[in-house]
Amino acid sequence: MEGILRGGSIPEMIPFATDLPVLLYPVRHHSPVCSYHLCKTIALYQPDIILIEGPENANDLIPILTDSRTKLPVAIYYFYKDKAKLISAEGSDYHCYYPFLYASPEYNAMLQAKQLGIPAQFIDLPYSEILIHTEQAKGLRTEQERHSYASDAYLAKSRFFARICEKTGLRNFEEFWEKQFEIGGIQRDTATFVRQMYTYCMLTRQGTPQAELEADGCLAREQHMAYRIQTAMQTYRKVLVVTGGFHSYGLYQQLQGGTVKPFRLHTFASDVQDCYPIAYSYEAADALSGYASGMQHPQFYDRVYRDLCDGVNPSTVYRTQTLDLLVKTAKAAAKQDLPISTADVMAAYLMMQGLAALRGAVDCGMYELYDGVLAAMVKGEKTKASSIPLELLGKLATGDAIGFIGDRTHTPPLIADFEQQCERLRLKARSVVPQKAELSLFQKESGMAASRLFHQMAYLGTGFAKRLKGPDLHQNKDRSRIREIWEYRRTPQVDAALIDHTTHGVTIAEACRTMASQTLRRERRCEVAAQTAVDCFLMGIAFTPQDIAVMEEILVQDGDFFSIGTGLRYFDMLESLQTLYDFADASVMRYIEQCFGKLIALLPTMAALSEEQAGDCIAICRLLYGVTGRLLPDRQVELVQALQTLTEREQKEPSLYGAAMGLLYAMDNAYRPKVEAAMQGFLRGSLAVQKRGARFLQGLFITASDLALQDEAFLTMTNTLMVGMEYADFLEILPFLRLAFSRFTPYEIQRIAEAVAKLHATTDHDILHTAAIDEGLYAYGETLDRMIYAQLNEEGNA
Amino acid sequence: MAEQWLKPPIELRYGEELAALCATDTGQKPENWKLSPKAVRTFILGGTVTQPNGKHITISRKFYGNDALVERSIITLAGNRGLMLVGEPGTAKTMLSELLSAAICGTSTNTVQGTAGTTEDMIKYSWNYALLLSKGPCREALVPAPLLVGMEQGIFARFEEITRTPAEIQDSLISVMSDKILNIPELGDDGFVFAKSGFNIIGTANTRDKGVNEMSGALKRRFNFETVEPIRDVKLEKAIIIREAQDMADAGHIDRPVDEDVAELLAVTYHELREGITAEGTMIERPAAVMSTAEAVSVYFQTFSHAWYYGDGQMDLRILTENLLGAICKESRDDLEKLKGYFHTAVKEKQAKEGGIWKAYYEAGAFLK
Repeated sequence: MEGILRGGSIPEMIPFATDLPVLLYPVRHHSPVCSYHLCKTIALYQPDIILIEGPENANDLIPILTDSRTKLPVAIYYFYKDKAKLISAEGSDYHCYYPFLYASPEYNAMLQAKQLGIPAQFIDLPYSEILIHTEQAKGLRTEQERHSYASDAYLAKSRFFARICEKTGLRNFEEFWEKQFEIGGIQRDTATFVRQMYTYCMLTRQGTPQAELEADGCLAREQHMAYRIQTAMQTYRKVLVVTGGFHSYGLYQQLQGGTVKPFRLHTFASDVQDCYPIAYSYEAADALSGYASGMQHPQFYDRVYRDLCDGVNPSTVYRTQTLDLLVKTAKAAAKQDLPISTADVMAAYLMMQGLAALRGAVDCGMYELYDGVLAAMVKGEKTKASSIPLELLGKLATGDAIGFIGDRTHTPPLIADFEQQCERLRLKARSVVPQKAELSLFQKESGMAASRLFHQMAYLGTGFAKRLKGPDLHQNKDRSRIREIWEYRRTPQVDAALIDHTTHGVTIAEACRTMASQTLRRERRCEVAAQTAVDCFLMGIAFTPQDIAVMEEILVQDGDFFSIGTGLRYFDMLESLQTLYDFADASVMRYIEQCFGKLIALLPTMAALSEEQAGDCIAICRLLYGVTGRLLPDRQVELVQALQTLTEREQKEPSLYGAAMGLLYAMDNAYRPKVEAAMQGFLRGSLAVQKRGARFLQGLFITASDLALQDEAFLTMTNTLMVGMEYADFLEILPFLRLAFSRFTPYEIQRIAEAVAKLHATTDHDILHTAAIDEGLYAYGETLDRMIYAQLNEEGNA
Repeated sequence: MAEQWLKPPIELRYGEELAALCATDTGQKPENWKLSPKAVRTFILGGTVTQPNGKHITISRKFYGNDALVERSIITLAGNRGLMLVGEPGTAKTMLSELLSAAICGTSTNTVQGTAGTTEDMIKYSWNYALLLSKGPCREALVPAPLLVGMEQGIFARFEEITRTPAEIQDSLISVMSDKILNIPELGDDGFVFAKSGFNIIGTANTRDKGVNEMSGALKRRFNFETVEPIRDVKLEKAIIIREAQDMADAGHIDRPVDEDVAELLAVTYHELREGITAEGTMIERPAAVMSTAEAVSVYFQTFSHAWYYGDGQMDLRILTENLLGAICKESRDDLEKLKGYFHTAVKEKQAKEGGIWKAYYEAGAFLK
């Protein structure tokens, strides 16, 4: 490997000399060694301008990023809304981040330019143009890289590197990079380091097919960058170009090939394409995070770089930082009561040094540190539970710091709105410590306003707030509560999520409305649409006329009885809570009427549904009955007709049949003889039919329990049913009977017991009360129960 | 002589490689080590050495899957902590332990096999009772066990299946590992045995035995643990099956090359049953039995031998399926259903898509009962 990197055969391919008009400096994003040698290169070369790889529509942000008040990590957030459908027919929204850490060469290039008083410029195509020149599912349009401008995919995933791994037994690209470049490169002179970078990057490039470079927009970007370089050369004597190492060879070839043609760039309004500086976090900058954009363990490498800036000897910087991190890991483990001793720390340190020597590395780095912690601090089999020291190491190496943008004039609109609302509602949104808020929903306006903000933030998936207590309208639980308790915390992820939604609106409410509209258009089911209506109700967001039209269209198109039934339940609830929540929406009543109409039409077809679905169907029938009582009295006739049609069907699920008969009786007591006749029909049938009679009773008592209480007719029939059966058959129908009688109150059970007692010439006391159990026996039973529970608990079965 | 042995020790089996490494080893060696850590690494993970006469000797790779684990193990043994290899059965823990011992100490046979009946005598020392009765407690009457041998000679003592031994017996290692001294009280003032440089302990423990005799925290602290994972790469597993089966065939004088297609079939079967998901993404039930590469090699070689001795030399997939059944359905009747389920879903899907050997394999699966 050393031999390959010596680059003996291709040193002159890209010249590196201080008298050149253009010097191409290759970097890897967030690499301390690249920053270290970049500063040396700038000192040697003394450029008149520094050109940096990065979408050029962010040039205005360079002074903000290098502002002395700005604290890293920060990022440039780019977005583009493809309203003109230049990228695809879908006209989607796109966004990505370009993060900067203290160790980022691009940041140091900007900083050095500022310190030298020379200009610094980004030279890549604007974000929209990169997307336009990238094929579907390639480069910035792939799932993995779509959020990250500064991707290292070429360096890390090339065929050349795969071969290196195979030959050297290295675990991954990061280990290779750290060993050969970060630790090895820091002790080389700048010219040798740059030559090795050229060599590695050129070999990587040679292993990448031209078609791939074309497809992911790489060639177009290089053409544009080369054009900008040539333009700068006309004005400046010495031009330093800082780009990803992979592009160095491509740019060199473009510049060698004569005059480069410029691209015709599109012009977009700022609501279609723009960029903002945002505070970023180490966590998000970690290559292991969802927004893979550079190296792993960013805080660790930032510390290495800052040590180098502070004058620490390059030959000891990694030893110092890894030892420091090892000790911090042990301390963090001790705080979690893990038995990590000083002897373990020493063993881990010896392991790190030993491994570095065995692997021929100049010094130990993150991978030796990981191995040291794994060998000496993970006791027993490596499982999730035993790997806590490794987790702690990972967290410490990644870091949890959040950056800060010194100049607030470029704050993204959603973050500005969020901060404004938090200030108005007196929410502590600048603290990373979790906070609790107890809100009176109906007493103070501020309580409802804060609740709506929390619901909006939750709806946007920001992770800002979590409701601990309060009414849960989605589950129809705790509706009587008048307070909500929330826990909230502002993290970088909250800002990042808000930025993610920038394309959805300029205020949080607007973003929520856009999201809700998109959900309606995407899901097309009444159940989901009604849940979205509940979300909007909680967020205090009214549907637009277009959304209302979509909602009505969904209600027309959805033919799923149960989906519409669930939808009606939500709409009915919203209707009843409108006054309480001070949120009137006239369209809810229209939705109810539409749902009601469709359910009535579909109800007769439900007659022969399965036993499993019968419960849900009965609940919907009861809901329909309730709605006719409260909101649509004029339409009770329709319900009666639908139920009658259902009961007249040949195939009927017995419990649904019973429930329908019960409802018909509830609406017209004159229906009672028909109910009795139906029950008698079951009693006179075969054994199989009698068993179905139990389910009929179950349904009947759900909707008309008073039948059992009015007189003895139904109890007598139930008694006949049970008495006439064999014991085994009785056991079979027992669960249904139990369910049928489970809806009665204790007082009603008392009354039923009296009636049943009469039938059997005894007293209710004898039925309801048995002889008192012996006190000692009861105590023994309790002790036994506790022992069994403890035993089960011990075995992990409780 | 060694050629007649069923399983010659590593130091004999790879004697030439060890000699070549020893002759060319210029690296720094810990006290009493036969080879430097770099040479030990090369011995286990493979490479090439150039002899003074310019001749290149290829060192075969003997352990697959996790190079960093091997490196950590070597460095651990150079320090003052023992090495504990833990993992599922059949993940080559014992082989790695033998390789390390053979390369570092020149011997891999100084071993204690842990069982429920293992006593302290078997680990430390016992007595020749005839001499003990005639001469009293003296050095001559002492019968050293692997721990004492390791301490006196400055070599490793290997302790296999440590968690199968009762906890109090395991704990007898604690003082030796801490102080590097073994006291034999019967010998009075002469009873202190100080460990020579190079002494260390390599333990192995099976994670399926976890909880049988859990190691004490005190003993755990004296070891660095390494978890040996099953091979997760089908290509690699296939290569191991081919290599091991060929070695076994050579040792058994079976003069026939191994069938790579069948090896791939078996590697895929073991891999998918172990992971509980097929390459096509179909979820399947994992058998309770151990699905190790060693088991796959065993199934393969049984079928291979059957073809050699009873058949025409061509491997019969029906016999392979029967051997697979024997290997998987050991502990629970449920495993048979899981294996059948695998044939009815994954193999059926593959035979429809790929045909060929998978079709024959699927048809052989009809005989599973």
